[in-house]
Amino acid sequence: MPSKTPHNNAGKDGDDSMTVVVPPSKAPKQPAPATDAEGDVAMDVDNAEGKEEKVDPAVQAVADIKSNFALLDRAVALFDARFSLRALRSISLIRKHLSPDVIAQAIADTYPANSASGSIAKSLLAAVGREDVALGRAASAEMDVDSDFKTVKNGASKKEAKEIIPEIDVFLGILIQVYLFDAKQYQQGADFSKFLSDRIQTLNRRTLDCLSAKVYFYFSLFCEYIAPLPPSPESPIVAIRPTLLAVLRTAVLRKDTDTQASVIVLLLRNYLLTSHIKQADLLVSHTQFPENAANNQVARFLYYLGRIRSIQLRYTEAHEHLTAATRKAPSSGCAVGFSQTATKLLLVVELLMGDIPDRATFRQPSLEDALHPYFLLVRAVRVGNLEDFETTIADNADIFKRDGTYTLILRLRQNVIKTGIRMMSLSYSRISLRDICIRLHLGSEESAEYIVAKAIRDGVIEATLDRENGFMKSKEVGDVYATREPGEAFHDRIRACLALHDESVKAMRFPMNQHRLELKNAQEAREREREMAKEIQEGDLDDDDLGGDLDGI
Amino acid sequence: MAERSLSPILAQLKQSPQMSYPEASALLSKAKLLLLSVNALTPNPSAPSNLLALARETYEQGALFSIRAKNADAFTRYVQQLQPFYELPSATLSPNLPERNKVTGLSLLLLLTQGRYAEFHSELESLANRDGGGTDVEGDRYLGYPVRLERWLMEGSYDRVWKAMKSSEVPCDEYSVFSEILKNQIRSEIASSSERAYPSLPISSTKSLLFLNSEGEVIQFAKHRGWIVKEGHIYFPSAAADGEDGASAKDMSQMIMENTLGYARELETIV
Repeated sequence: MPSKTPHNNAGKDGDDSMTVVVPPSKAPKQPAPATDAEGDVAMDVDNAEGKEEKVDPAVQAVADIKSNFALLDRAVALFDARFSLRALRSISLIRKHLSPDVIAQAIADTYPANSASGSIAKSLLAAVGREDVALGRAASAEMDVDSDFKTVKNGASKKEAKEIIPEIDVFLGILIQVYLFDAKQYQQGADFSKFLSDRIQTLNRRTLDCLSAKVYFYFSLFCEYIAPLPPSPESPIVAIRPTLLAVLRTAVLRKDTDTQASVIVLLLRNYLLTSHIKQADLLVSHTQFPENAANNQVARFLYYLGRIRSIQLRYTEAHEHLTAATRKAPSSGCAVGFSQTATKLLLVVELLMGDIPDRATFRQPSLEDALHPYFLLVRAVRVGNLEDFETTIADNADIFKRDGTYTLILRLRQNVIKTGIRMMSLSYSRISLRDICIRLHLGSEESAEYIVAKAIRDGVIEATLDRENGFMKSKEVGDVYATREPGEAFHDRIRACLALHDESVKAMRFPMNQHRLELKNAQEAREREREMAKEIQEGDLDDDDLGGDLDGI
Repeated sequence: MAERSLSPILAQLKQSPQMSYPEASALLSKAKLLLLSVNALTPNPSAPSNLLALARETYEQGALFSIRAKNADAFTRYVQQLQPFYELPSATLSPNLPERNKVTGLSLLLLLTQGRYAEFHSELESLANRDGGGTDVEGDRYLGYPVRLERWLMEGSYDRVWKAMKSSEVPCDEYSVFSEILKNQIRSEIASSSERAYPSLPISSTKSLLFLNSEGEVIQFAKHRGWIVKEGHIYFPSAAADGEDGASAKDMSQMIMENTLGYARELETIV
C-alpha cells in the first residue's frame, strides 16, 4: 500500500508524542539542566545567540538539536529510555528547519577535531554533502564575529569532556535520515542508512534501543521509495529482508523490545507489499510480538495481522484485530492516514461477515471523503442490489485497488446475493424463482434455485422450495422471544461487563507491599488485643499487677 | 553440453503427453541430474538465462505430468520449485506467460478442490502483483477459470460450475483431471442443501438437479445419503431435527442454570 506511507509517516511523529506522557518542552530557550560541564557551557552559548538573532530559524534549529544531546546524556547516565524518547519526539519540531548546513553545524559544534569519533563525524558530514566543514567550533560561519573567544572557551571545555556517546552519533544519523527523506534523496538515504545500521549492530547498548528502532524504520522506508517500486519483486525491499531478519534475531536475543516490535512490523509490511502472504503468516506464527511494545507499533501490528487474516478468510479474527487497531490509532489529526486505511479494511471485513457497518462511521469529518466509495458499496450491499454493486465496483475499481481491498471486495458478491434473497424472503410469503432471478439479475432460474437452496442451508433465510411449481415459500417468522436468542444476548452482555470489571481491576495500580503493611498492622493490632485480653485476664487473677499494667497502657 | 542433452529430453516430454508417468519421471530425473551438474537446479544468479529457462521448462513439464497422473503431492512439489523461477526479474529470465499461468491455474484448482480456501486466496492476492501481465487475472484463460469456479461455488450457482466443467469450456486437458472431484463435491453440496430446502422431491427432477444420468442412479444416491424413496418422491429424513429439539431444550435449561450460578459467583467476588 504505497499510497498510505506519507500519511502513516506523518502519523508516526505524531504518535510518538502520544506515547510519552511528559509534555514536550517547546521552549528551546530553557534547556533541561544538564549535569555535565560541557552541556552547560554549550547551552549558555546558544542561549546568548538565540537572543541576538531570534529571527534565524537555522540557529534555533541547531540549538534545538543540541538541547537534545543533554537529554541523551541524561538517558545514558540514568539509564532511562524516557529521555531518549523525548529527544526523538522533538524531531518533528526540528524537521521543518533541517538543512545540510544546520546538520553540518551541529556536527561541527559537537565533535572536537582530534578525537576518536572524528571519523564518524566525517562520515556523517559526508552524508549531507558537507565534507569540507572542519570539525570544531571555528568552522561555523555565524560564529565568526566572536569566534576567538568562543573557540578558546569551547576548546577548554571539550578537553574536560569525555568521549561523545554513540547515542549522539545515532541521533544525528536519524536527523540526517529525516533530512534526506524530506529532500527525496532516497538512494543516498538508503546508502547512509545501511552504514548507520551497520554501525548500530556493532554496538550493544540498551540505551540505544529506541533510537535504533527509528533508524531501521527509515532504512526500510528509503528502500520502499527506490525504483522499482514495491509490487515488483526486484524492489530493494526484498534485498533488505535478510538484514531485517538478522536485526530481529539480535533484538530478540537482547530483549530489545523497541527494535523487536518495530522490525516485526517492518517485515510484515515488507512482505505484504510484495503480496507474500504466506511468508507474512509464517513470520507471525513464529515470532512473538512483545507485549509492552509502544502503542503505535501495536496498532500497526494489529492492522497488518488483520490484513493477513482477512485474506485468509478468517474474518472473525480479522475483525477483532482491525477493531483493536482502529481503536488504538491515535485520535489526534496526525495519524488520519492510518485510521482511514484501517477503517476501510475494517468496513470491508464487516461486510464480508454479513454485518452492515454503522452509518455514523461515515460521518466522521476526518474519514468522510476517504470513505465515500465504501459508503456507496455498503449501500449496494445493504439493499442487496447486484447491479448497483457491480457498477460501484467498476466505478471505483482504481481506488479499491490502490487501497488493496479490491480482491476482498470481489468476494462480497455472494453477500449481496444473500442479502437480496433475505429481503425477498422477508417481504414475500411466496415468490416464484423466476421473479427472484429477475430481481437479483441472476443468470438463470436454475442458478436461482441452487442459490436459494444454499441460502436456506446456510441459515440465511427460513424458507422451503417447491420444485414442481417453482416457487420459494417463506416460513412464518417465529417469536424471537421463544428461542434461546435473548438469553444468549443477555449472557454475552453480562460476560462483557464482567470481563470489563476484571480488566479494570487488573489495570489498577497497587503500591508495592501495601497489603503486607496492612497485614502487619492488622496483626499487630490483633496481637495487642490479645495481649491486653491476656493481661486483663491475668489482672483478674492478680490485682497487684492491674495498676502497673494500666499505667503501661 | 548439459544444454545439448537437456533439449532432446524436454522435446520428448513435450511431444508425447500420453507417456506413462514412470517413464516420464525417469526422464525428468535425468533432466534434473543434468541441471544439477551445471548448477542450475535452483535459480542461481550466476547461471545463464537459457539454462534457467530450461530448468523452468523441466519443472513445468514435471508438474503437468504429475497432474496427469493425479499425483497431487508431486505436483505441489514441482509448483514449489517453480516459485523462485517465477519470481525472477524478467530481465534475467523472460517470462513464458501461457505456461506459467497454466501451472498456476492448475495449482489454484488443486487448492480449490482440496478445500484450502485460505491458501487459494493468498495465492490469488500475490497474482495481482506479478509483473508482466499479472494484472488481468480474470481475463486470463487459465487463471480466470479457477477464479470463476470459486466464485460460483461460493454463491451457489452450481449449474454454472457444471457447465464450466464440460470439455469445451475447460482451458486445457490437464484441467479436466479435477472435474471428477469437483463433480462429487458439488453433488454433495447440492444434496445437503436440498435436504434443508425441500420437503420432498420427485425423482425425475432430482435427476436433473443432481446432474445424474438415470433414475437408477438417483435411487442409489438417495440410499447412499439415507433418504426415503416413496411413490416416485424422495422424502428427506427430518427425524434428526425433532430429536435435537428435545435435547436442545434440556441443554438450554441447563445452560441457563449454569449461567445464573456463574453470575452469582461473580457477584460474590465483586461484592
